[in-house]
Amino acid sequence: MRKLQFFIPLALFLGLAVFLFSGLFSNPRDHGSALVAQPMPVFSLPNLTDPNRLMTNADQKGKVYLLNVWGTWCVTCNAELGFLTTLRQQGVEIIGLYYVQPPEAAFGETFEMGALQKDVARKLAEQGDPYQFNMVDEKRSLIFDLGVTGAPETFLVDANGIIRHHLVGDINEQNWPALHTQYQALVAQMTQAQPSSADPSSANSSTNPSTNPSTNSSNGGQGE
Amino acid sequence: MNSQLLRKAMPSKGWLQSMALTLLLVAMPSLAITDILEFKSPEQEQLYRELTAELRCPKCQNQNIADSNAVVAVDMRHKTLQLVEQGMDKTQVIDYMKTRYGDFVYYQPPFRLSTMWLWLLPMLLIVALAVVMLKKQRQQIVAHSSDDAELQAMIDAVRKKQS
Repeated sequence: MRKLQFFIPLALFLGLAVFLFSGLFSNPRDHGSALVAQPMPVFSLPNLTDPNRLMTNADQKGKVYLLNVWGTWCVTCNAELGFLTTLRQQGVEIIGLYYVQPPEAAFGETFEMGALQKDVARKLAEQGDPYQFNMVDEKRSLIFDLGVTGAPETFLVDANGIIRHHLVGDINEQNWPALHTQYQALVAQMTQAQPSSADPSSANSSTNPSTNPSTNSSNGGQGE
Repeated sequence: MNSQLLRKAMPSKGWLQSMALTLLLVAMPSLAITDILEFKSPEQEQLYRELTAELRCPKCQNQNIADSNAVVAVDMRHKTLQLVEQGMDKTQVIDYMKTRYGDFVYYQPPFRLSTMWLWLLPMLLIVALAVVMLKKQRQQIVAHSSDDAELQAMIDAVRKKQS
């Protein structure tokens, strides 16, 4: 009993040392997301290339996709564009949510869609265009509902419109493999669910041409 | 005569006017930058002040949204004002922010199984210290009483010799 008491301070010290040491490697900017496992917030935002066309949740129904929050003003986003473009070439569906920074009203700045379109077109021509389309969030309403704190941030959304992953920071070679497996699992889930809901017995037969066009629609929006 | 002298010493009236105008123009952008908020009632103002002081900027390292000028913090202030004007009470506004920015956004952590140690650990520490103190005290009392007995025996021995 006496000996045991002797070791109590040592155990306390070691516990504290381990706790504080692990703190050295924790990321103070990583504080989880309230959005994971939640449905995608309802949105209705103008398409960047065709501002009269409002994009809504319905446009992405039944698709697994990445929603990438970015801006031409954001250096990390620009660095990320090249990598995202290679992902698009591999068939990953990526949608851009353009983060409009508040214009400095005091210096006479106003928001101009035309100027933004030119700016974005120039940037995408230079770095590569990973996006099926871009939505412009001028008032940062969807950005606010998504709990976005800056750019770039990326959300993985499944076919039912549920957010599966919220990544703060850029997508790169290091963190993509994990996200890719998750993406592929969701795509597999979706393609499994679609034929079985139509007819469970004909999962591997070609007798249901009606479901084929919808499952092949992942490349449908490429011509922007 | 007097005024003529003054005129020589001081710059012309027109120069002064243009100078004053320039100063005014310089001051205008800074006026525009500061938010001047108007509230419907002092209660709403009080609530707004409380909320912006207690909500944490999710982009910054330990700043409340009242203190920060990060885009997120500014947006959150606008939203707070909007919600307060809509008549939401304090917990409603906090919940609104929490569903978007997580528990991190409010300085008071929620009581959960994972966070319960924040309250439990200090209490356990105090209890443990109290137990150790009491034990020590009791040991000392025992030690003292044995010392006393020894001393008494010596005194008795001396007294016996003397008598």
